[in-house]
Amino acid sequence: MQGARPERPDPLTDHETVVSVTGRDLVQRAVMERMRVRLLVAAAGFGCLFGAVSFKLALATVLMPMAPAKRQIAPLVPQIPKISTDPHGLLADDVGLPVHRAAITDRNGQILAISLPMAAVFANPMELIDPADAADKLKKVLPKLDVAETIQRLSSKKQFVYIARDVTPEQELAINDLGIPGIYFEPGEKRHYPLGRTAAQILGAVDVDDHGVGGVERYFDKRLSSDKTPLRLSLDVRVQGVVREELEAARLHFKAIGACAIVMDVRTGEIISMVSLPDYDANLYNKASDDERFNRAVTGMYEPGSTFKLQTAAMVLEDGIAHVWDKFSTVPIHVGRFTISDMKSDHFAPWLAMPEALALSSNPAAAHMALDAGAKRQQDWLRNMGFFDRVPVELPEAARPLLPRLSNWGLSAVMTVAFGHGVAVPPLAIVRGTAATANGGILIKPTLLARPEQQTASDQADPSLAAGSASETKPLLQPVSDTKGLDGATPNNPDTDQDGGDAASSDNVVPQGKQVLSEKTSALLRRILRMVVAGPDEERTGKQAEIPGYFVGGKTGTAEKVGPNGTYLKHVNITAFTGILPLNAPRYAVYVMLDSPQAIPETHGWYTSGWNAVPTWRKIVARIAPMLGLFPVTTGADQIEASLTIPMSPPVPAGYRALGPGNDPGDPVKLAQQAKEQAARDKAAAKEAREAARATANPHTRSVDPHPVGGAVRQSVSYVRPSN
Amino acid sequence: MISQKRLLRAEPSFRFLAKLWRISWLYVLLICVLAGVGYGALYSADGGSAKPFAGPQSLRFGFGLVLMLGVAMLSPRVLVRLAWPLYGLSLLLLAAVLHMGHVGKGAERWLIIGGMQVQPSEFAKIALALVLAAWFHRAGHKRMGNPLFLIPPAILVLLPVGLVLKEPNLGTAVIIGAVGASIFLAAGMRLWQIAILIAPVPFLAKFAYGHLHDYQKARITTFLHPESDPLGAGYNIIQSKIALGSGGMWGQGYLHGTQGQLNFLPEKQTDFIFTMIAEEWGLVGGLTVMGLLLLIIMGGMLMSMRCRHQFGRLLGLGISMNFFLYCVVNLSMVMGAIPVGGVPLPLISYGGSAMLTVMFGFGLLLSVYVHRDASFGENEGNA
Repeated sequence: MQGARPERPDPLTDHETVVSVTGRDLVQRAVMERMRVRLLVAAAGFGCLFGAVSFKLALATVLMPMAPAKRQIAPLVPQIPKISTDPHGLLADDVGLPVHRAAITDRNGQILAISLPMAAVFANPMELIDPADAADKLKKVLPKLDVAETIQRLSSKKQFVYIARDVTPEQELAINDLGIPGIYFEPGEKRHYPLGRTAAQILGAVDVDDHGVGGVERYFDKRLSSDKTPLRLSLDVRVQGVVREELEAARLHFKAIGACAIVMDVRTGEIISMVSLPDYDANLYNKASDDERFNRAVTGMYEPGSTFKLQTAAMVLEDGIAHVWDKFSTVPIHVGRFTISDMKSDHFAPWLAMPEALALSSNPAAAHMALDAGAKRQQDWLRNMGFFDRVPVELPEAARPLLPRLSNWGLSAVMTVAFGHGVAVPPLAIVRGTAATANGGILIKPTLLARPEQQTASDQADPSLAAGSASETKPLLQPVSDTKGLDGATPNNPDTDQDGGDAASSDNVVPQGKQVLSEKTSALLRRILRMVVAGPDEERTGKQAEIPGYFVGGKTGTAEKVGPNGTYLKHVNITAFTGILPLNAPRYAVYVMLDSPQAIPETHGWYTSGWNAVPTWRKIVARIAPMLGLFPVTTGADQIEASLTIPMSPPVPAGYRALGPGNDPGDPVKLAQQAKEQAARDKAAAKEAREAARATANPHTRSVDPHPVGGAVRQSVSYVRPSN
Repeated sequence: MISQKRLLRAEPSFRFLAKLWRISWLYVLLICVLAGVGYGALYSADGGSAKPFAGPQSLRFGFGLVLMLGVAMLSPRVLVRLAWPLYGLSLLLLAAVLHMGHVGKGAERWLIIGGMQVQPSEFAKIALALVLAAWFHRAGHKRMGNPLFLIPPAILVLLPVGLVLKEPNLGTAVIIGAVGASIFLAAGMRLWQIAILIAPVPFLAKFAYGHLHDYQKARITTFLHPESDPLGAGYNIIQSKIALGSGGMWGQGYLHGTQGQLNFLPEKQTDFIFTMIAEEWGLVGGLTVMGLLLLIIMGGMLMSMRCRHQFGRLLGLGISMNFFLYCVVNLSMVMGAIPVGGVPLPLISYGGSAMLTVMFGFGLLLSVYVHRDASFGENEGNA
């Protein structure tokens, strides 16, 4: 140490040295002094900060103490829910369970969804004395408990671990009686769907926080969690069960990949049944596949196919563009590389009057009807019928139909839309349209909510369906004018339908909604619908739907599906039948659809609607009609039948010149021009058709024009009418 | 002239027993009292039992006590030589924690060495104080005027700060930076130099806020409005404030604090141990503990000032500053005065790393005091 700096004697080691203060020492001391001051300032700063913290402590403890929240000072005792002892209370207004979410019932009070009080058991391992002992005790109450895992959890150094969820009140009480310290309960609810698969897609589900995640549960989420009275749906579980059973049987029988059926009251819009297959157990929502959760009735986009011809016919009749006696050509039409033709066109007469055109379901005839109306009128009609809007029903899954873009609504679109191609519509929209054509022309709003109970005691007089229609004796076709004749059965005669039993407890119901077509047109359409099922023509598509005594009618539809690469899949169809029962006093619209049914020996190789959807429809209706309070009519049946009949080629009244051979308005010139321009338009039209097809392509089921190129084309006749 | 007698009295002796005698036993007693308070609080946090916190913690304290006395015997020359290797080791550990650290509560802070959890950032604070003290000691007073001499120590500070920020542990990074800054100040930096250093801080802060993790931003937000999110990030602060409020003037009684005993208080054995004490002992108990802490800090400062060599003064100051920052940050945090930052209350909170590093620091402080009069001039201790 000394050796390091010999020039400066070290006072600490050399006792004999006289201490001298050098200039260098003075500088050093000045620096040290400055440092000392800084250290003192720092120390003072420390003191001040501590003072501030002390003041803050005084504030927090004495001067301005913060009070604990109320729930913290509440006793920490688990609340054991009280259970209603009244078993009859289950069907009463208040189900009587201490839960927050209201139950959902069908129209008769049958429970479809109900919340049960369930608790979650959790533990604070820090407070547990003996995890192994606790787990053993818990096992006695909860047989499914995994003891090893529970011990492991209870031994973890956490303050919160779950032990079990969905513990019943009895088990909760039993666990509480075990008296294990550190075990607590968290009150909760579990949503239960007692009927499993029945109406699973309609009901939807709730998540762990009891919020609806689909279906009615989601649409009425606020209502269900705020008002404890059960939500009464329009569904009838008995009908729903039967429809599901028959539809599933048909789906398996025809090896279809999916199916869908709807039963709707045409006067109130109440949906009595809505089935989409494949389905799933509503209690196992989380395990269901997307395909099973998919509600084909409101979300599925399907080309309506020929069922849409009903709209085309309604349009031309209502707008006065054509009359029932007008005839339309069935000769295949060439549009670009597509040909609009019929599968059986070689059997068809070249000209068909309207009833026959619909009964035989001729595509070119429907195309001609729409051509006579034009694109603008067609669009207006579809818009008026609600096909441009989301189906108004209380389901969040309700979808908006897909139509060609208005800018792209050319001639080919007019023709294809006329017979239900190049458009994709949810089945419920088709049902709504069908109901409007048959119920007197009122566009009703489909609903899943039951109508409030009404006075029904007054007239339950006549249990037969015949009463109203029996008085219908006016001659069908008076050759004066179409305002006088052809006004068919009165649709809303209060006496025509008896009380619908449990399913439909009210009658005298006047449909509420926009009048989209006149009652007269509606009456005509009812006759035409009847002819599809019961007409004289052997080739009629709906003949397998006939159920004696019920006067059913409807329209078939077959649409080919579009494959993954955008081309049509031959032999893969969407087949549907949309019908009304009974036609003399329409009460219900029933719709059945099969997705990709296959030809089986029984159908002689056919896979069109008439061979699968129609018989399924008949089976369903035959079973549910009595449930709905409708019984076969035997007395006066002939009269009723007569009132629903229309000749396949109605006579032309005097003073009218029917459309048909030799009378196509502006036809010769127009056609000559068309023939010339045909080649020029080929490309554009083909593109249009393709785009129309693409516009309607739905990610789930893509189906477009049924009779495009190839197979179905029997004749390669250009758009030239037989000169006559 | 300085009287020779005074110099004689100050003659250093390096015999072991003499050294042991020179230790400030009063200071050691203070530390033991505080550790006793800590034991009592942990006993209560256990709900009236020595397990699982109080017992192990007292063992650690015993170990720490031996460590402290051992370090106190080391002469400044040895410490200066140790400074650089220790600093290098701390940087290595900080880098290691980033790569293979154990993730605890959203940040990598722990390193497991031989079955023991080590928090290198605690160790880094002490190592930084050592290395800075060594640097400024060697640099001497004259060179302090040369700004170029400030650049290497600035880098010495920024390296661990950067690594700790990356973990990410904002609270500790700020404390490390503050410890470094305090040593800069005490080393005799000119005020204008300080001004230059402080000027960019607001901009850096703004830049840093952009790089904060969401949970760190949430802490700042809930600090401003704790009641806005009573069940989320504001929960800790609210429960702590409720506990303090229920303590009142005299407290609810030992082992009878409702918030703490009923587990409403989060982290009551570590970060929020002071809340627990204040709930059970009230304002009086809280102020007593704070008084003890302040005594220890002031004692450390006094011992530093008594030291005759620059190294000892700066080291002592750094250690005291570190301890002080621990206390103030933790106390302000539990009272809701600054955002919650995961800083324990030294000697009282449960935790091995913090306990051992704090005791190591006290060992250094005592060493400074023991060797306060040792001749250890500038330019010495060149490692």
